[in-house]
Amino acid sequence: MKEVKARVLEIMRMSTEDGPGIRTTVFLKGCTIDCAWCHNPESIDPKPQIQWIGNRCIGCKSCIEVCKQSALAALPSGIEIDRELCIGCGDCVEECPSTALELMGKSWGVEELVAETIKDRAYFSNSGGGITASGGEPTMQAEFVNRYFAGLKAEGIETALDTCGFNNREALEKAVEHADLILFDLKLIDPAEHRRFVGADNAKILENLIWLAGRLAETPEKRLWIRTPLIPDTTANEKNIAGIGEFIAANLDGVIERWELCTFNNLCRDKYSRLGREWAYADCRPLRRATVDRLVRVAGSTGVDPKIIVAGGATRIDEDSDGPGEGRPNLRLIKGCACD
Amino acid sequence: MAGRNIAKKSEGRIKEPKGNSLRISYLRDFYFSGLDRKWNNEFTCWGLGTEWDVIYDEIYFYIVPETYPFLQTFRSGYRQAARTVPIPDGFWDKSIAERRAIFNREVILNHLPQEILPGDLIAGARFNLQTSRCFTEAEAAERDGMVLGKKGARKQIKWFHNHGYGNAGATAGHLVPGHERALTLGWAGISKELDDLYDALSDKDKTGPKGAQLKAMKIAAQVPAELAARYAEACRNAAAAETNKTRRAELEQMAANLEVVPEKPPETFWQAVQALWLNHMLIMADENYPGPGVSFGRIDQYLYPYWEKSRAEGMSADEGKEILKCFWIHCNTAYDAMIRVGGNQGITAGFGQLITLSGLGAGGADMTNDLTYAILDVIDDLSPILEPKPNVRLHRNSPEKLLDRVVEMVGESQGAPFLLNFDERSMAGMLREAKLAGLEKYINEDNVHEYAPVGCLENTMVGNDRSGTVDINLNLYKAVELALTGGRDMHRFVDPFTGKKDKLGQDGPETGPAVHFTAFSQFWEAYAEQTRYIIRRAVETYELSESVRARFSPTPYLSCLVKGCAESGRDITAGGAEISLVTIEAVTFATTVDSLLAIKYLVFDKKLCTMAELMEALLDNWEGHDKLAAFAKNRPPKYGRDDDEADGMADRVMDLWTEATWKQKTKSTDRKMRPGMLSWNYWISDGFILPASPNGRPRGQFLSNAICPSNGADINGPTANANSVGKALGGKSKNGDWNEYVNKLPNGASHTITFNPSILRDGEHRDKFKAFLRGYAENGGTALQINMLDPDMLREAQRRPRDYRHLLVRVTGYNAYFSSIGRELQDEVIARVSHEGF
Repeated sequence: MKEVKARVLEIMRMSTEDGPGIRTTVFLKGCTIDCAWCHNPESIDPKPQIQWIGNRCIGCKSCIEVCKQSALAALPSGIEIDRELCIGCGDCVEECPSTALELMGKSWGVEELVAETIKDRAYFSNSGGGITASGGEPTMQAEFVNRYFAGLKAEGIETALDTCGFNNREALEKAVEHADLILFDLKLIDPAEHRRFVGADNAKILENLIWLAGRLAETPEKRLWIRTPLIPDTTANEKNIAGIGEFIAANLDGVIERWELCTFNNLCRDKYSRLGREWAYADCRPLRRATVDRLVRVAGSTGVDPKIIVAGGATRIDEDSDGPGEGRPNLRLIKGCACD
Repeated sequence: MAGRNIAKKSEGRIKEPKGNSLRISYLRDFYFSGLDRKWNNEFTCWGLGTEWDVIYDEIYFYIVPETYPFLQTFRSGYRQAARTVPIPDGFWDKSIAERRAIFNREVILNHLPQEILPGDLIAGARFNLQTSRCFTEAEAAERDGMVLGKKGARKQIKWFHNHGYGNAGATAGHLVPGHERALTLGWAGISKELDDLYDALSDKDKTGPKGAQLKAMKIAAQVPAELAARYAEACRNAAAAETNKTRRAELEQMAANLEVVPEKPPETFWQAVQALWLNHMLIMADENYPGPGVSFGRIDQYLYPYWEKSRAEGMSADEGKEILKCFWIHCNTAYDAMIRVGGNQGITAGFGQLITLSGLGAGGADMTNDLTYAILDVIDDLSPILEPKPNVRLHRNSPEKLLDRVVEMVGESQGAPFLLNFDERSMAGMLREAKLAGLEKYINEDNVHEYAPVGCLENTMVGNDRSGTVDINLNLYKAVELALTGGRDMHRFVDPFTGKKDKLGQDGPETGPAVHFTAFSQFWEAYAEQTRYIIRRAVETYELSESVRARFSPTPYLSCLVKGCAESGRDITAGGAEISLVTIEAVTFATTVDSLLAIKYLVFDKKLCTMAELMEALLDNWEGHDKLAAFAKNRPPKYGRDDDEADGMADRVMDLWTEATWKQKTKSTDRKMRPGMLSWNYWISDGFILPASPNGRPRGQFLSNAICPSNGADINGPTANANSVGKALGGKSKNGDWNEYVNKLPNGASHTITFNPSILRDGEHRDKFKAFLRGYAENGGTALQINMLDPDMLREAQRRPRDYRHLLVRVTGYNAYFSSIGRELQDEVIARVSHEGF
């Protein structure tokens, strides 16, 4: 069998938010969609990318000398990477003494990734945890995920696939084959809104989810969690949550184990600036607990069993209701926006 | 910004005591009023009034380098402050041990007042003493020669410390005395055993050193009952003057208790705690040292029969806890010893009267009981409080209920109010010790579960073991320095007081300058030879104070509580305990491993510099070598990331130094060395002594702490950090020391991990944290201190981002490098951490 390699963005150990128990989450690079609020913008491009982390740089400029593409320049603001010229070869990363330059998207083979990621087996088995393949969109590397999960199952490790659902059926089928748990995102129920903020239609996602529900009905040992990000002024509104809840109630009854509402987090702001991108949500703040509680109540009134609805993630710590709001996204930066 | 205000607001919310009665709140507040108290337990000094009298035993303080400049001051000061105690006839005809026993008895019974604190349920208040060592003029002169002479202990220990090796000295405490035996037998029983052993001696032995030792112990064994009688009288007197009926009854019951214990076995829980306190405090009086790791062992086990009995007889759990809380307050008065030094500074110091809770019993049974939980409640109600220091023993099958309570208490404090000890790994170390030191008779599969930690986390057996934990503290990094230079210091030592420079000498073996090495294996060989040298040198330096203590500083009372002393007729200070070892506590483990990895990576593997260039950078303290320093800091593999290459180097370093350690023993007392890792505060202070190291650390920056990875090196999170520590100890193997567990450090190793508070934010996450602890029992080390990321640390990272470049903050699972997220978000994270921290 031909060796398959994956582009891995990051391996995060003792992850506590990507499925049950203590997990190691493998973030695969490349995504099929482009959500305006994306918390991992460096995961979208499937190609390796270089990033420069300013506070680590000692200003030695070794990187500039070594770059054959002349893609790097030292500006008063720091090292600038010309994304047009950069081919992601990693020569500058190798030369950088302070790890200020990082190569995002390292290549991993199945066996070596299995060996690396099962090191926390003792913590998985004591917590009902395991390994989650996330991204980006892991089904973009479905063949790899299939073999990787098979390798993990052979080691007795629980597997979870974290998918946005925007993928072709074969890829999804392949990725799901050895997955014990599927974390499936439902972000926006309104097709137009979905096109606007995610850059793609949600029809395919909903079709895939219904197909998956049928598939899971045949294999009851596989579990399904739905995840909905709560993004200020975007997904975090009653209409959207009610719509998603109604869809779940109508189509996933008996299959779904949990519906997670995951709150917006603004910590990724620096990631955008490192990638030289503007972020529509840069001025947004975490949601208030009261807002999240209200949305949980809405979710629980849709016919979905309230016991399976869980709100996770950070909320605002200053709860005073007359304080500043959650902020609104800068719509000019959103591609599918009418004002574009 | 709103967040900033919140940070300020919630930072006032440190854990507060709760659920305490008026009595306990009063006693606790009284204690913390420190110097404002009318009563305290500061040292009182008692001497012979002779010109040559020695009161302050400086060798106990050789492991506290901060005291070196004051050794002479203390020596003279205590003598000047001493009140003269008349001595009985025939005093000078007796052995030093007998004289000490007589002298201490006289001071404790007839010169110290016996006082009862208001509302207190436990008697036994004053015990911090400095008493004459009872030397004749000739003995004093002989000892002065050994301590103060040209090649004497004081000079040698200063050299050892000034030159970056560490420190060494025969110090007090650091053991678990046989409390269970003392309760079961009572002092009447112990005295009977002493009489029998003495009577069985030959006539020659009776008049020789063995007889003298037993006679000294017999005198000491009278003191507990005699003192209890004095305190009973004090209680009766107080009762007579008491108008409150309830309190009068309490005082009368205390008197009645003291008429039973500690001479006879306790009949109630109250009596058992009273006996335990008197037995314990008299050790501190005997050693003239307040609470230095004089540990209680498994109190929830040996007090349990009394607890059960009294509970059955009608004592409520709250009444039992009230008694325990009084005991807790008493333990804290150890700190009064030097309470005037720098205001209430005494109260902020750390001594370590350790208690042990829970853990395995025979046949793999979990020993958690009602008293375990009651004691955890006591800790929770009283904390923050310093003493006694709790250590909770966990293992694979620790009950969920215990873990729930542990995690709950961690969540309510800024860090855990106790240390966690892990049984499987710890017992593996004890069994390895049994094998390597030929102690299978005393430590074996059948009794190893009875072990208990002392001081901070140093594992020992109970009631028959003094393993000299913290007696030798050795900077492993010194061997790297000597391997670089070929056996000489890198810089000349400059005395900070006189400005005088020491000459550079060929102190270590001549392994040749490292600049001539062409392969890493050559460097390794030189390093190995220097390691063997620094260990030899440490033991030789230690011997200078060990021999002084063995000859001149007997502790006959303590010897009564340690099996082997009476039987062998040898004081515990002369190696009388059945298990009598000395622990070399290695400091700078990760600094050493990372430096070796850096040399291999920079000079030999990647050839980023020559050895000469590296040497130059080190001599320049990395100044002017920014790029090489950055390479050294950031690029070589590092211990603590669960990376097999780096952890393989850790394994080599561990094997080398532990094997060399087991080969050494003391001359005067024939105590074998055993290895451990504890760094107390040395990893901070010695960072100013040891020169720049190849891992990119300049002089003045902290060294690594105990078995922890270097600061900031553990970039793969807590599980990777724990796995590296477990591997460094030996991991698991088919031929493990205890089942599959291997542990090359029988003493154990101090390990601290800092978590983000969000890990404990709700029930689901607390379950995950419990799972982490269970995973740690499988993969981690012997002992874990859990700290929570706190706002101060984050603010420090804001000020000095370069030093905290790898600091990851996780906000509900989302990772970000703190130093790269911008000021505003940083403030928000600080506010969040303050908010979630409690």
